[in-house]
Amino acid sequence: MKQGPVNKMLVYIDGSEESITAAEYSVVLSKKMGAELYAIYVINTRALDDLVKSRIFLQIEEEEYKRDLESDADRYLNHVKELATKKGVAINLIKKSGNVHAELKKSVQENDIDLLVLGELAHVRSRRDEFYNEAERAMRIVDCSVMIVKDEEKVWELYEALE
Amino acid sequence: MALIDLISKDVVKVPLESKTKTEIVRELLKVLKDAGKLENLEKAYDAIMARERLGSTGLEDGIAVPHAKTDVVDTLTLAIGISPGGVDFEAIDGKPSQLFFLMLAPPGQSGPHIEALSEIARLTKSKAFCRTLIEARSADEVVEIFRED
Repeated sequence: MKQGPVNKMLVYIDGSEESITAAEYSVVLSKKMGAELYAIYVINTRALDDLVKSRIFLQIEEEEYKRDLESDADRYLNHVKELATKKGVAINLIKKSGNVHAELKKSVQENDIDLLVLGELAHVRSRRDEFYNEAERAMRIVDCSVMIVKDEEKVWELYEALE
Repeated sequence: MALIDLISKDVVKVPLESKTKTEIVRELLKVLKDAGKLENLEKAYDAIMARERLGSTGLEDGIAVPHAKTDVVDTLTLAIGISPGGVDFEAIDGKPSQLFFLMLAPPGQSGPHIEALSEIARLTKSKAFCRTLIEARSADEVVEIFRED
């Protein structure tokens, strides 16, 4: 039976500092609200495919970069796991490959997530930013509520103060 | 990181003066060096040319995207050059290349590297966008075109 407004939250990690701040805030929220915490990293294989199709990348480069991205995913997810574990919060790690916003939408559905947490979005400096930023696209298409985390310093203080 | 974050007028050269592939690569690297974004030009040149030896990054319709993963830069770095008359860059369609996007990425930044390259791939699919870029007469104009698109 559901107990509160947020029972399962998913934080999207892309390796940026903003996404790590979002992870810290998620740990705080999860502990305070008793919500189950998930963290997801999506290896953007769609972009890799596009680069091979457009012939910017050779097959050999695609393989090399895919290995790099796999190891990035593990590194960042492990870091987030450490952040959660340090504060006694259990976390479920999800590693996916494919189209980032589509995988986020799918994971929200599959895990019955009721809050997606994203790091602060980059400033829109050209019109296409609004259309191609993966976090922005995810924000528009997921079926649950979305929270954008801001103020790195304040979040860090909250995280540090968490017992 | 959005592509526009990598573009400022000091990393754009219009028009390029070089007439050969190797000169074009050097000219673009010099742009980065002059902008304070690169110290070891020779090492960057070697990295770019090593990638070119595996297969030219001269694509179809006048676009070339020379790139390399190298520790000569600390962060993702892009130079843009336009050669309205075109230069033989050993493109796959045999046509002269006019638009050059030279990208250097440090190891450990594969994600942003891929995203930036894929944004270039997406943008250059538009013939209208490429035509507008080729017609640009200054670095300021090029930056503005990217900002408006």
